[in-house]
Amino acid sequence: MMTLAFRNLFHNRVRLVASTGGVALALMLILALDAIFTGVERQITAVIDNSGADVFVAQSGVRNFHMASSSLPASSVQAVESMEGVAAVTPILYLTNMVVIGEERNLAYILGLPEEANAGVAWKVSAGKALPGLGEAVVDRRIAENSGVGLGDPVEILGRKFKIAGLSEGTANITSSTAYISLQDFAALRGQGVVSYLLVQVEPGEIAAAVAKHIQAQLDGVTALPRQTFAAQERQVVKDMSTDVIAIMNLAGLSIGMAVMALTVYTATLSRRAEYGVLKALGARDAHLYRAVLAQALISVGLGFGLGVIFTWLLAQALLAMGSSLYLLISLESLVKVAAAALVIAGLSAILPIKQISGLDPAIVFRGK
Amino acid sequence: MTLAIHNLLNDKTRLLLSVAGVALAVMLILILNGFLTGMNRQITSYLDHSPGALLVAQQGVENLLGATSLLPQNAADLASRTQGVEEVVPILSQFVILDLHDKKAPAYMVGYNPEVGGGPEKLGAGREPETDREVIFDRVLAERHDLGLGKRISILGKEFEIVGLSEETTSWMTSFFFIRKSAAEQLVRIPGATSFLLVTVEKSAEPESVASALGRAPGVDAQLKSKVAANDLTLFAKVFSAPLRMMVAIAFLVGSLVVGMVIYTATVERQREYGVLKAIGAGNRVLYQVVTVQALAASLAGSGLGVLLAAAAGRWIMAARPQFLVVLAPKDTAFAIAAGLLMALLAALFPARLVAGLAPAEVFRK
Repeated sequence: MMTLAFRNLFHNRVRLVASTGGVALALMLILALDAIFTGVERQITAVIDNSGADVFVAQSGVRNFHMASSSLPASSVQAVESMEGVAAVTPILYLTNMVVIGEERNLAYILGLPEEANAGVAWKVSAGKALPGLGEAVVDRRIAENSGVGLGDPVEILGRKFKIAGLSEGTANITSSTAYISLQDFAALRGQGVVSYLLVQVEPGEIAAAVAKHIQAQLDGVTALPRQTFAAQERQVVKDMSTDVIAIMNLAGLSIGMAVMALTVYTATLSRRAEYGVLKALGARDAHLYRAVLAQALISVGLGFGLGVIFTWLLAQALLAMGSSLYLLISLESLVKVAAAALVIAGLSAILPIKQISGLDPAIVFRGK
Repeated sequence: MTLAIHNLLNDKTRLLLSVAGVALAVMLILILNGFLTGMNRQITSYLDHSPGALLVAQQGVENLLGATSLLPQNAADLASRTQGVEEVVPILSQFVILDLHDKKAPAYMVGYNPEVGGGPEKLGAGREPETDREVIFDRVLAERHDLGLGKRISILGKEFEIVGLSEETTSWMTSFFFIRKSAAEQLVRIPGATSFLLVTVEKSAEPESVASALGRAPGVDAQLKSKVAANDLTLFAKVFSAPLRMMVAIAFLVGSLVVGMVIYTATVERQREYGVLKAIGAGNRVLYQVVTVQALAASLAGSGLGVLLAAAAGRWIMAARPQFLVVLAPKDTAFAIAAGLLMALLAALFPARLVAGLAPAEVFRK
């Protein structure tokens, strides 16, 4: 039966290409969207992952950067510095705003860093310096290149002109980038007396989670989280925002894939109707023929699944080569989900042709139809 | 034409599947564009319904969403003394991530003075906040998290009681909630802080000239609200247009493949008949027409069905997930139908190639 399935499927190459291509594209709809959000989840925590901080201290109830803002009294810096297990504290100012270069306006996390910052600094700089001085800014290289500017050129942040002193790498994602200015400039533009977050480095041998717990217990009105937890909370924001959209797109991809497959297996079976009639006339049982149809559907969907993964991977590579901020990351979880969807598609798409075969009269072959 | 229709109708199940394939592709294109149009409306909803024609923000801030603004302390006083200004409504606003039942819900906080304005346009239930521990919550967000009047929520570490439920203040990305401005000042820990001024101009005054007069105050920029709304739209379009276009392109390719496959199979099955037609003198052009008409007919039916399906799916999505607004704009519908027809033309290429390469003598050999 497997041979028959293969023969039926590979007999007409154009139809095979169209059907596997159709299924591949439908599955790609699911895969690509998943990959976009997985990519965003990865990119969005880059600043946190590479901050060099072990613990993030924020205003009570604030557990991440994205779409959040935090305000802590300046006195909290000293209070945390004096705590047991704390090696260094870097206070930063933070908000989301526009980086304006010429006519280009790009959404960015703006970080204000102190002169001797131990943490929170751009971790990879392709040109210039990582820590901005007064009147200077470090911006993402890709954003700068897309706007046609480089080191020494002006950039407008928080309504004021800054000179680009450094170009950072890996600090842009689909929604925003990161720009660094000095804490002093930031404070002058957005008021003194407060800081947004404290980036805490713990003493060697200390456990970040324990120090975070201690800080939160000792200091009123703050939330302190170890870096990994803070990053996980950041990822959770993206995940919770995208769950419903992904569910709807998955349904669309599944429906389209189903229509394509049903059509393929149906037409393939239809064109081999006479042969199935001969098999029936020779005594082949319906169950054998059903298995052939199901095998055909499974092979097509299997090929489509493989192609879909390859298409999505190629798309991800192409976007990377083009310097796009859209970063696609295919996760194992997504692959398992799409494989399951493919199996559902194969099973359901075989129903129509199976119905066709079950109603087939073996005598049809002798009547020359 | 008759031959084309005959070929197409010969197998009704196949025709139905092909129409369904195109319909699903067209539906997907329409739903994707409907999401974007709906999202655009939701994004500007607050600005569209808030008082005034002008928005005064901190210098360099040209968006309401996506940017934080902190005005100089005397900005409201200076604005109200500017010629042509009828009313000034100060608000303190910013994004906040709420933790609701272990889910992260990004929300836009608006601190306003209920006596002056700047709150929700429509209150579905309850009343405006009277104390600094009361909040008006978006009705859809409240329902999604099983919250209602009298329930308590934590905002930036402080407990608030829900006293009102607002309408039309949600989107799939974020929802609005409203507290007293004094409560917002406590949350951001800046007494007297103001983010934006919503300015109503006198009837006799020109909004543009009042905006330039307001913009002359130190540290502020004044713009038409419509301009700020457009800036917000541009910002969000920049974020979402790339993935959306990619999805539309994939849907388009799938649709083309579906029609192409159906017409191709129909042509292969009728190969002998086409050979006979060629043998009795029919030119390739006639046969191309037959193939194209089949593709167009399947696509037209699919596109029409796709529009109907999109309307139904849009309603279903909005009923099941009220945070989504799916708007089927006429231009998007026209685009989806045009895409459906383009799919047909592309799909006709495969079978046309087959027909062109067909030898008339073939039929006599069989």
